[in-house]
Amino acid sequence: MTGQATALSSEFRKITSIRGPWLLLAAGPLIVVAGISGLVESGGNVHDPATQSQALAHVGLAAIITLVFGILAMAGEYRHGTITDSYLSFPGRRQVIGAKLAVYGLAGAAAGLVSSALALAVTAAWWSAKGSALHLSAAGTWQTLAGGVAANVGFAVVGVGVGALVRNLAAAIAAALAWIALVEGIVGQLVGSGLARWLPLHASEALDRSALLGASQLLPQWAGALVLLGYAAVFAAVAVVTTLRRDVT
Amino acid sequence: MELEVRGLTKTFGRVTAVRDVSFTAPAGKVTGLLGPNGSGKTTTLRIALGLVRPSAGAALIGGVCYAGLARPRRAVGAVLDTAGFHPGRRARDHLRVLAAASGVSGERVDEVLGQVGLASSAERRVRGFSLGMRQRLGLAAALLGDPQLLVLDEPANGLDPAGVAWLRGLLRDLADRGRTIVVASHGLAEVSQTVDHVVILSAGRLRFAGPLAELGTGGGELESAFLKLTEAPA
Repeated sequence: MTGQATALSSEFRKITSIRGPWLLLAAGPLIVVAGISGLVESGGNVHDPATQSQALAHVGLAAIITLVFGILAMAGEYRHGTITDSYLSFPGRRQVIGAKLAVYGLAGAAAGLVSSALALAVTAAWWSAKGSALHLSAAGTWQTLAGGVAANVGFAVVGVGVGALVRNLAAAIAAALAWIALVEGIVGQLVGSGLARWLPLHASEALDRSALLGASQLLPQWAGALVLLGYAAVFAAVAVVTTLRRDVT
Repeated sequence: MELEVRGLTKTFGRVTAVRDVSFTAPAGKVTGLLGPNGSGKTTTLRIALGLVRPSAGAALIGGVCYAGLARPRRAVGAVLDTAGFHPGRRARDHLRVLAAASGVSGERVDEVLGQVGLASSAERRVRGFSLGMRQRLGLAAALLGDPQLLVLDEPANGLDPAGVAWLRGLLRDLADRGRTIVVASHGLAEVSQTVDHVVILSAGRLRFAGPLAELGTGGGELESAFLKLTEAPA
């Protein structure tokens, strides 16, 4: 096997032999179920097609979980000291990051798909309970879900990059959550909505069609996908470059 | 496959951890890397394993640097500390992760677990392991690829007297089969009975490198020689 193939198989064994990441990942679908139920219970109009899209957009909102999940990939190895063994196995180091990007990206996709299936089931149940019906053919249904899954993948990959860069697990998670909850909103106001739509959370909102930020201007969905992919690529590249030469003491 | 350290220097900011250190650890021998705390032993080993970049000089394993080894886990096994485990991972899974990374079979995992005396704890999560059990698990990981060079940092740490005696026998046996063994330690008692060659560091500088016999044969003589070589300059 090539170095990258053995790195992938080793990474797969790593993630399947501990429970923590999976418990974390399971929080995503739970958030989706709770979020949709909350939308209905707070008086969402189930006869309005826009409410259906709003409900399904929770799949993308749950990407905050795959972001933290991705951060665990690298920062968790520094936290537990297992990074030493990983670099002893792959002194080139880039194989370790490459394998993590692939495995955590895939797990992010799986989480997004599970969330999507649950979102459809829960939305259908609520809609029929309230005397309406889920319209799979409604404009935006599949577009919203596809964007939501893509956001789960993109945020997992960005997380791997953030964790490789920051390395301190608590600091990396705090920084990422602070950016999402606070910093991007402030930066967005400072630079104006024309530029703000290029920021990562704005781009992901264009992608998963949620309306968390209430931004006045968003990119088209495909452009949101490209911008988020760009951020993921930049974070991954920075992660590789900063990791290759760093001393592991 | 010998370990050759040539003119090694490492500075961390304004601190010089290792200054122009050169020595060779020959194949078929147990080499003790000795020195007080902070003398540069661990830094030297981490440079040899490609984890830390030297500021000058090089450490070569069979003539190439660690990153240049085609199959590093088959060539070199290392135990650097007793902390590098995920607490929630079972002992066997920890080794399986490394086996997958080095193309080693699943049977070999059970073989080394038996060799270090952890067969009955294979399915336990590492969070419940004592220091000595972690030391043994680290050793199992190092032995996994049946390496030519074994690098151990304070391997007796946490082992009970029976464990230390067992470790001594294991290292002697491996050396007799032509392996290169490098053991870093600040404890002299167990080392004097195990090592053939001695490298003594103090404050990042080389104080002595050569056969143990040139320092003295008994443990007491090693201690007095060690203390004399590593005392702070007046």
